[in-house]
Amino acid sequence: MITTELLTELQAMLSPERVIEGDKNHPLGNSGIVKVYPQTEEEIASILKFANDNGKTVNVEGNGTKKGFGGLTESADILLSLSNYKGIVEHVVGDMTLTVKAGTNFKELQEYLTQFKQKISLDPYCPESATIGGIIAANDSGPKRLGYGSSRDVVIGLRIVYPDGKVIRSGGRVVKNVAGYDMNKLFIGSMGTLGVVSEVTVKLRPLPKYESLNLVLFPQGNMDEIKAFATKLLDSTMEPVTLELLSPSLSERLIGQRCYTIAVGLEDVETSVRYQENFIQSIQPALSELKVLSQQEAQSFWNQFYSLSPNSSTDSTQASLKIGVVNMDVTHVIKASHLLSDSHNLEVEANGGLGHGLCQINLSGSKDDILSAIQQTRELSTKLGGYTVINHLPFALRQEVDTWGKKPSHFFLLEGIKSKVDPNRVLNPKRFVGGI
Amino acid sequence: MAVKGIKTTDRHILNLANIVGDARSIIYHKEDLIAYDCDGFTLHRHLPKAVVFPNNTEDVAALVKYCSDHQLPFLARGAGTGLSGGAIPLNGEVIISLVKMKKLLSVDFENRRAVVQPGFVNLKLTNSISDKGYYYAPDPSSQYCCTIGGNVAENAGGAHCLKYGVTTNHILGLEVVLPNGEIIEIGANGIPDEPGYDLLGLLTGSEGTLGIVTKITVRILKNPESKKTVLAYFDKVEDGSQAVSDIVSAGIVPAALEMMDKTAIEGVEAAAFPVGHPKDIEAVLLIEVDGIEAGLDEQINQILDVCKNRNVREVRAAKDEAERGRWWANRKTGFGAMGAISPDYLVQDGVIPRSKLPEVLNKINKISEESGLRIANIFHAGDGNLHPLVLFDARIPGQSAKALEAGSACLQACADVGGTITGEHGVGIEKREEMRFVFTDEEIIAQTDIREVFNPDNLLNAGKLFPMPGRCVEIKRDLKEKETAITS
Repeated sequence: MITTELLTELQAMLSPERVIEGDKNHPLGNSGIVKVYPQTEEEIASILKFANDNGKTVNVEGNGTKKGFGGLTESADILLSLSNYKGIVEHVVGDMTLTVKAGTNFKELQEYLTQFKQKISLDPYCPESATIGGIIAANDSGPKRLGYGSSRDVVIGLRIVYPDGKVIRSGGRVVKNVAGYDMNKLFIGSMGTLGVVSEVTVKLRPLPKYESLNLVLFPQGNMDEIKAFATKLLDSTMEPVTLELLSPSLSERLIGQRCYTIAVGLEDVETSVRYQENFIQSIQPALSELKVLSQQEAQSFWNQFYSLSPNSSTDSTQASLKIGVVNMDVTHVIKASHLLSDSHNLEVEANGGLGHGLCQINLSGSKDDILSAIQQTRELSTKLGGYTVINHLPFALRQEVDTWGKKPSHFFLLEGIKSKVDPNRVLNPKRFVGGI
Repeated sequence: MAVKGIKTTDRHILNLANIVGDARSIIYHKEDLIAYDCDGFTLHRHLPKAVVFPNNTEDVAALVKYCSDHQLPFLARGAGTGLSGGAIPLNGEVIISLVKMKKLLSVDFENRRAVVQPGFVNLKLTNSISDKGYYYAPDPSSQYCCTIGGNVAENAGGAHCLKYGVTTNHILGLEVVLPNGEIIEIGANGIPDEPGYDLLGLLTGSEGTLGIVTKITVRILKNPESKKTVLAYFDKVEDGSQAVSDIVSAGIVPAALEMMDKTAIEGVEAAAFPVGHPKDIEAVLLIEVDGIEAGLDEQINQILDVCKNRNVREVRAAKDEAERGRWWANRKTGFGAMGAISPDYLVQDGVIPRSKLPEVLNKINKISEESGLRIANIFHAGDGNLHPLVLFDARIPGQSAKALEAGSACLQACADVGGTITGEHGVGIEKREEMRFVFTDEEIIAQTDIREVFNPDNLLNAGKLFPMPGRCVEIKRDLKEKETAITS
């Protein structure tokens, strides 16, 4: 029996209670016949080396919030969970840098940093269960990306266990570094297909001294008016950290009013935030409504917002899409998503950043409606020169629609990189673009 | 068909001339090639085979394909301001100069992006959009003449990257000619997070060893509503360094936080843009905050308090834009200013964790004493990016080698405290061996493995960025070569 043999062999490497039989038939796929919980980098390395030497495949996960994100294998031989590989390695408060093990929970990290009035300037979905390693491997980001950038702007160093077991460091612990290739970038968003990120070093930011959220509601739903407002704000010297357009359904869920809403986040010293609030009021369109949430109220809004993504949901009728378009085309995507709920029997909630061009659409409904909605969205994004990636979809449906869309014309480079780093295709097989 | 006016029998020159189509777009006589035997790093020189000046992407692709098909080494060059030797034709390369591809192709204010050709000069972009209140953030000191293509190759930084990031944080899309002549586009339409490995991030800062960039989509930013600049004089370097840490720890993100030490001050005050810094102080800090006007006074007051707590002798805010401009001109021309107090100087570019500033400055002092050479320090203190300037006189036998050794020792000191060997100048030829201060052999191989995917024959800019095998012998020989180059 393969499972028994594999269990025995792996139990010889790790203490037996950290090697268990896996859930091969998980509805989101990306599982393993055997699931292992390494506690040291050496253990991660020995598991990978074992797999590499013995023709085994390895799926990697943190707390499993991205289990529905890509992947055409229901189960690899080994599911390597980093959920036990956690903790702070080094926090140099004065340098505002932090090194942590990949399995560390994101929300716990932020809470720990609060006492130093610092934060990691990322705002991923599901922060209460997502791990820092998973966020970086999947390159997750939220609306505050407008103000603070994404993982590629925040990560300054990584330790990566390669499939053959060697440990490679990229970047370092300083905030500015051009020594050699910027290898950090290769692993951010690579969905664990090149190596297992074991340690992450990020640069931190000070916690804002004050924050508010200005919700501009457009009961008429006039897209031209919405766009004009956003353009005016972007063309001013104001410094919003979010400029997120919410679909009427999402707006209803979050603030109880069913209409298009722009969420303008402000974070700075109080005098500056107040000044910007006044500016927003001064350019507020005639038929719009303005609500200002301050401090904890603003934070609660965002906390609820981040919890809405399906993530680890195993409800077979949910999907989540990430759409990238040119900034102002976000209005087209959000409007089209709103229309989907009429043309299809679907619940659709959507949001998109008018200052960075990334949208998220959450879908809930029947299988056929979801597949058709994905196809329509993808057609629209392609027409707009952008893309649609499926962040969450049950395993069965991923067989019917490609998570990543069309292969890019330079796919041979991606394939070339994969072949160099993981020639035996050990890691996260078929999880990434073009079957990598 | 031969191009009119070409006088050579070299078939490669003839064929390259054919591709660019006119005799003024190629240089191949030895006396003309001398200008291209080095870049901003002058301690190493080699003549190229030829320099060609394509007008468009298709010509670049055709030139590259020709070189690739005929196994001719080649490299790309912008304005040649690089400080680490990345554009030096070590192997007698065909230099593909991109200075004729210098158009601003489009600006899209609504979506905050601009598309430029690689030869477009950095500062010209800001100048072209400033009337609408926009700017391009990366601001290397050479921004008045360096090209954005070169900035991408080196992942250039600048004084204001403390708050706004370096080049890689502002690049949204690239058109690239691969070393086999194929043209690819990454980050199409400047849309972020294109599915696939982040090639934008990988190519930016790859020092022209993975491909030649022929079109660049960059992010443009709205000018901050207001800027405030403060100058602070300290009697002790330690106090200045501590003030730097305190400012950042106070939760302030300055747009720039620069420091100069006594020797550097002597230099800038003797050069073209003196501003009257006192001669007897140990350190000057130039601190800039920007953003919403209403919030700046609070930050400035905090900065003033921090400086006072650290025994500042004098601290004041710029009274107007003209004064602010003078302070920045004084700082930004700091490297060249060393020419006023020393016949030669060597710039280094180490980075350290901010908290190690006093420790490393002490170490650099020791290196200076031991080598008998003065070392000036001008640096981006806010992000820990040091620029030790080793002052020497190449006419004195042995001094050049000593200067190189001292420079390398400074980088070792940075690496020893968990820092790195280059923050914005790149590795190039200059710091190839020092790569070993921060990377293991395995880590270097992991990087050259990636190069092989793009540049399998290593015809594009070979011999840069990575150390040569057999290090000790090489370093010694290298030093000897450099010494010969200097004294000749």
